[in-house]
Parts: sequence; C-alpha cells; structure tokens
Amino acid sequence: MYIHHHTCISPQQTFRNADVEALQENTDNKLKAKEPVYDGIPPGILRRMGKAVRMGIGAAIPIIKQQSTDGIIIGTANGGMEDCIKFLNQIIAYDEGMLTPGNFVQSTPNAIAAQMGLLDKNRGYNITHVHRGLAFENALLDAMLMIRENPGNHYLLGAVDEISDYNYNIDLLDGCYKNEKISNKALYTTSSEGTIAGEGAVMFLVNNDAENALAKINAIQTLHTTDETEVRHALRQFMQQHFAPGQKADMLLTGENGDNRLLKYYTAAESLFDDHTTVARFKHMCGEYPTASSVALWLACYPQPLPPHMIKKQGSAAAVRNIIIYNSYRGLQHSFIHIVITHKK
Amino acid sequence: MEKEQLKQQLKEQIIQFLNLTSVKPADIKDDEPLFGEGLGLDSIDSIELIVLLSREYGITIQDPKEGRKILVDINTMADYIILHQTK
Repeated sequence: MYIHHHTCISPQQTFRNADVEALQENTDNKLKAKEPVYDGIPPGILRRMGKAVRMGIGAAIPIIKQQSTDGIIIGTANGGMEDCIKFLNQIIAYDEGMLTPGNFVQSTPNAIAAQMGLLDKNRGYNITHVHRGLAFENALLDAMLMIRENPGNHYLLGAVDEISDYNYNIDLLDGCYKNEKISNKALYTTSSEGTIAGEGAVMFLVNNDAENALAKINAIQTLHTTDETEVRHALRQFMQQHFAPGQKADMLLTGENGDNRLLKYYTAAESLFDDHTTVARFKHMCGEYPTASSVALWLACYPQPLPPHMIKKQGSAAAVRNIIIYNSYRGLQHSFIHIVITHKK
Repeated sequence: MEKEQLKQQLKEQIIQFLNLTSVKPADIKDDEPLFGEGLGLDSIDSIELIVLLSREYGITIQDPKEGRKILVDINTMADYIILHQTK
C-alpha cells in the first residue's frame, strides 16, 4: 500500500506550511492541537461539530478535494469524547428526560467518517475502527486488505482523537498522566510515572500505485502483551520476516512518552538495532493519545530530514529509507509498522 | 418579564443552545424567519429549540403542527412563552 498525500493537525505546525523544526512548547501536560481556520466546512455544520469531528474533517478536506476516494477508513479510540461526556451529564442533570440530540450525534466515534462521507457525497466503504491504542493500526490494516481486494481503489485513511477535560481528569486519577507539570521539551528527561496528554487528526490518501508515492507501507503487526521480552522477540521476527537478508532499518521511530513504566518496552526494542539505525521519538510533539502512531507515520513521510529535537541517537545510515515505527499504548497494546520511503528526504 | 426583555433573553438562549458563535443577539430580527432563510436553522435545531422551551420555560410541545406555528420567529416564540410558561 502506498501513501500519496498526507495531512496532519497536531499541537505543532504540521497543517499548511508544515514546519516541524521549531518545537512548540507547552507546560500544562496537555498538548492541544493547533486548529486551523476551517475554510471548507459550511458554518452551519461547523457550529455543531465537536473538536474531534472538526479536526478530522479539517484534515481530510485537502485530500478529498484533490482526489475522490472509494472509501473512508478512520481509526479513533474515543471519537468526540467531550460531547459524549456532555451528553452523559445531560442524562443525569435532566433525569433521563428531555435531551438535545447535538452532543449525542457528534459524540459517536463513527460521526467523523460519516461527516466526511456526507460532505464528500461519498457513498463508498465507510468504517471506523475503535480498538483503543490500536485503532489506527487496525484502520491501516483494513486499508491494506481493501486495496489488496480492490486494486486501483483510493482510500482516505486517518486517525483522530481529542483531549476531553473530563476524560483527562479520569485518566489522571488512573495514573496515565504526570502529577507534576512539565514542559514537553523535558518529556524524556523527567523520570516519573505518567506522560502528557495529546490530540490530533492525521489523514492519508492510500492506494496501490507506486508511481509518485511518498512512501510504501510494507508491513504492520500488532501485539497485546505486558512482557517486554515478548515485544523484543516479536519485533525481531517482524524484521526477519519483512526485511531482505542483510537489509537494516535506517530509522527506528518510537512512541517513547516519558512514562518510566513504559521505558522498558522501548529499551527492549532499541536493543535490536546497531549503530546503523537512527533512533527518533515524537511524543514530545503531539503528546500521548490512543492514535498517536498516526503522527509517527505522518512524520515518517515528512519530506525533509527529521529535526534534531526528535533524534535520540544518530545512526550511521547515509539515507533514511527503511523506517520502523514502534509504539506502545499503556504498555499493553504494541504495534510495529515498516515503511519504505519512496521519495527523497 | 416585559416582552422586549423576554425577546432579548430568548435571542441569547438561542445563540447559546445552538452554538451560533458568529451571531450576536442584535443580528436576529424579531420577525426574521428562524428556519430556511433568515437564521437558516434546520430540523435538528428545531429539536434543540423544543428542549430550550422545556428547560427554560417549562413548556412542552407535543404536537409537531403546534411547533411549526410557534417556532416561526422571535415574536411568535415570545408570544407563546408569555401565554404558556410554567417557570
């Protein structure tokens, strides 16, 4: 499967005139997305949209304007979480009585792909994957299978999740986020439990056409385990299976997120790579959220060399062509993606 | 409450309930149609307005035909509220 176009709304300058060289700093443990002016969404529809829907549609519009697609495949763990919790609070506040439909309609995870379909008048395949920390990976796998079955088709593939204030507090109590306020610039040097929250929307145009493609998704694998040796073993097997003999990864892009409980997984993965491979990280740019691996894929396809603030260890590879993305969500859901860059970085 | 005061309050509530962030109360004329032309509201908004009447004024609209006569413009809504509000 080949990626031909990609857009990203994130806490960094990634949408229109993308520039990831300068890192936008944040110190309140919530990396909120820099939302653009949504030109392509009619105001009457925009006013009802929650943030997740807005970001998803906003990121998708440049792609669907450029190329009509045969289907829309979205990964989101939570969809419009803020609207969902507003609706649940209404149920309590009004004693299950008269409830407004707006929050409910916008809160369902499939509202994002559905709105895209309505705006684009796209009656094709329309599906939303909601497998928590592997929602995007399952959407990606679905796109690969669809393209295998329907060569020549184009699909809009994407991932969206938002920070909900209510849900942030629940996750904070659950130990997911750091209790102390830190800067995202110090994410990897703060040794404590928890990480920082993030959000964003990333969209890709994918098909099976190698010509003029940005990158090829060569393989993907997901894994559920809490055992870091199992992660290491699975990643080694993944590379043996998908790399030609003697071929090495030029870059390992990991989802290290500053949570000292998860570091063992990333250390185990990095131990498989020698001096050839550059190790890079991205969660200081977008924060932690269930579909954050989509940002890693967007960065892997980024046409310029990745900036120094992303580099953990510089490898000796002369060019970056083979990239492995390894991401772990809460130390339970893990994914490996092998990308081959087909344009010149 | 005076009718003029009620209409001003109603406009503010409509903006809040329907998330009309780019509209100010002064932009909504008393005799301007709420649906179609004018404010350009749609069927989902009509449900939001029925909920507004219920929550803020204790008015329950059961008959859709009745709703069509009430939710015409600010004047018709205010007249109905004055006659039927229970809170």
